[in-house]
Amino acid sequence: MPYNVIVLVKQIPDIDQMKTDPGTGEPILQNLPLRVENLSKNAIEAAVKLKEKHGGKVSAIIFGTDRSSAAMKESYAMGVDEGFLLTGYDGNHPEVTAKVLAEKIKTIPHDLVILGNQSADSYTGLLAGKISALTGEPLLGNAVRIEMDGKTAKVTSALEEYNLEIKSDTPAIISVAQEINEPRLPPVLQIMAAGRKPINTQPAGPKEKFTSVVISNRAPKSDRKRIVFEDVDKGVSEVSKAIKEAIR
Amino acid sequence: MKALVFSDNQEIVAQILTSIRGKSDADAAVVSPVMESIDQYGAAKLYELTGTPGTDAISQSLSKIFAEGKYDLFLAGSTVRGREVAGMLSEALNLPAMTEISDLVFRDGKIVTKRFFYGGKTLLEEESSARVLTVMPGISEASRSQSRSELVKVELPASKITIVNRIDKMAGSVNIEKAQVIVSVGRGIGSKENIEKVKPLAEAVHGEIAGSRPVCLDYQWLSEDRQVGLSGKKVKPKLYIALGISGQIQHIAGMRTSRVVVAINKDKSAPIFEEADYGIVGDLFQIVPKLVSALKQ
Ligand SMILES: Cc1cc2nc3c(=O)[nH]c(=O)nc-3n(C[C@H](O)[C@H](O)[C@H](O)COP(=O)(O)OP(=O)(O)OC[C@H]3O[C@@H](n4cnc5c(N)ncnc54)[C@H](O)[C@@H]3O)c2cc1C
Ligand SMILES: Nc1ncnc2c1ncn2[C@@H]1O[C@H](COP(=O)(O)O)[C@@H](O)[C@H]1O
Repeated sequence: MPYNVIVLVKQIPDIDQMKTDPGTGEPILQNLPLRVENLSKNAIEAAVKLKEKHGGKVSAIIFGTDRSSAAMKESYAMGVDEGFLLTGYDGNHPEVTAKVLAEKIKTIPHDLVILGNQSADSYTGLLAGKISALTGEPLLGNAVRIEMDGKTAKVTSALEEYNLEIKSDTPAIISVAQEINEPRLPPVLQIMAAGRKPINTQPAGPKEKFTSVVISNRAPKSDRKRIVFEDVDKGVSEVSKAIKEAIR
Repeated sequence: MKALVFSDNQEIVAQILTSIRGKSDADAAVVSPVMESIDQYGAAKLYELTGTPGTDAISQSLSKIFAEGKYDLFLAGSTVRGREVAGMLSEALNLPAMTEISDLVFRDGKIVTKRFFYGGKTLLEEESSARVLTVMPGISEASRSQSRSELVKVELPASKITIVNRIDKMAGSVNIEKAQVIVSVGRGIGSKENIEKVKPLAEAVHGEIAGSRPVCLDYQWLSEDRQVGLSGKKVKPKLYIALGISGQIQHIAGMRTSRVVVAINKDKSAPIFEEADYGIVGDLFQIVPKLVSALKQ
């Protein structure tokens, strides 16, 4: 049977390109491009694969800002059919994000909500549980495999010590692990088509926010020597000496 | 302060209890069956949760215990299940949460925490009145206390989740935790066959082969007991050579205490170079044979 799947997509600064200030160790966030968060891509891929297998529709929700349409276009290019961009995102506040997303989820008919198990920039990892609590839908967490059978969703849930096969009735929330799939790189034609597709944009209502006082936010100190050679031959000669020294 | 500590991994419960001993009163909750001696880490009460351990059921049960017991803090070990329970409970009780903390200090009724941010590139130190915390494994070296916990059995309510099957992970025969020298390969190795190409290096330094999570778990190019990192093994060799490993924080978490770290990566800005004593920027397939011949000289 076809399934209506909602996928939750987070936009983040491109942390791979992020540098920290060599003097203060603080992150340099200016001019950092934005992109779709890693696990959100696995979530999109999982949702699109279900559509390809069973039919149905994939809707994406981004709680982001005016700058998030690029992330929605990327989601479209990967196979998302309809996109809802909720603006008003103001940093990583899981209690706000969860409420905003859950409110929207409740207005869209669905069999599954798929999201990442832990986002790559903040590692919060709370949204799956929070959204399950807010919607009352059971959570099938950290899935490395999803199987649908009528109104039953079964996943292989990867735990630290072992894996568990668990199942529940739909509608259900599924969080996915990085290992579940390799997100597709959409072909150019699809990317172009995605650019023309409309995005449903609406502001999300303000929610009570929990704030902390930041004492410091710096690159962690490590006592490593950080001697890095870009000249391979010089590197090999120096590093082999260091290796001999280390294992003596 | 009065804390309720929970983890599906009882060793983490012992670590968290040890880390807050003397600073906060604490009770703990674990999923049945209880581990031997888990009643000796300083929890006044030890709740043993029996029945089907769906996270919805655990969260409902602990929300009730938390509210009725007038606790100030809920500390969950940051495992897959721990984060799920923390998310559910924080929403059910409307309590502010702080996640993935690696350090915790109580200061004038507030708490000061440390956690990694921006994919592990920065360490964020904050003061807050968070009431739900997810705590990274290894926050302290667990040690026993004088007192014994009072055991309280709690039957979990019905769960919407059915457990169908448990699948144990495949295990090999090495113990990389004790290895003196480790040659570790990441996704940059490209294929299972390519691991053969770095074996001469492992032989030259008398090291064990280990790997990052994608290599051990995702692609299964190596057995899972060779995985280094947060969700793998914590290693502390004299020498750790990282080949084609980007150096994400979850990997670093498993090898940070290595004595000397060497990294080879073709990407000059790979974070592994921040965590290395010596690095060479370039193609590992070109560099490894050169290194092997230099080591043989
Ligand atoms: C909760 C959680 C727990 C996790 N636990 C772990 C864990 O325990 N252990 C772990 O390792 N990961 C863990 N991860 C995954 C982690 O975030 C990273 O995804 C993983 O460490 C990346 O592995 P990698 O460095 O092998 O791959 P990548 O990040 O893909 O890096 C590959 C690197 O190889 C380099 N490269 C490619 N080709 C070559 C070449 N020919 N020569 C030289 N260099 C080359 C590239 O420049 C790149 O830097 C965890 C993630 C989460 C969310
Ligand atoms: N602002 C957001 N908008 C939409 N989805 C989000 C947002 N933040 C997080 N998510 C989803 O929740 C997953 C886990 O995020 P977190 O719990 O914050 O670590 C991500 O992988 C996304 O799928």
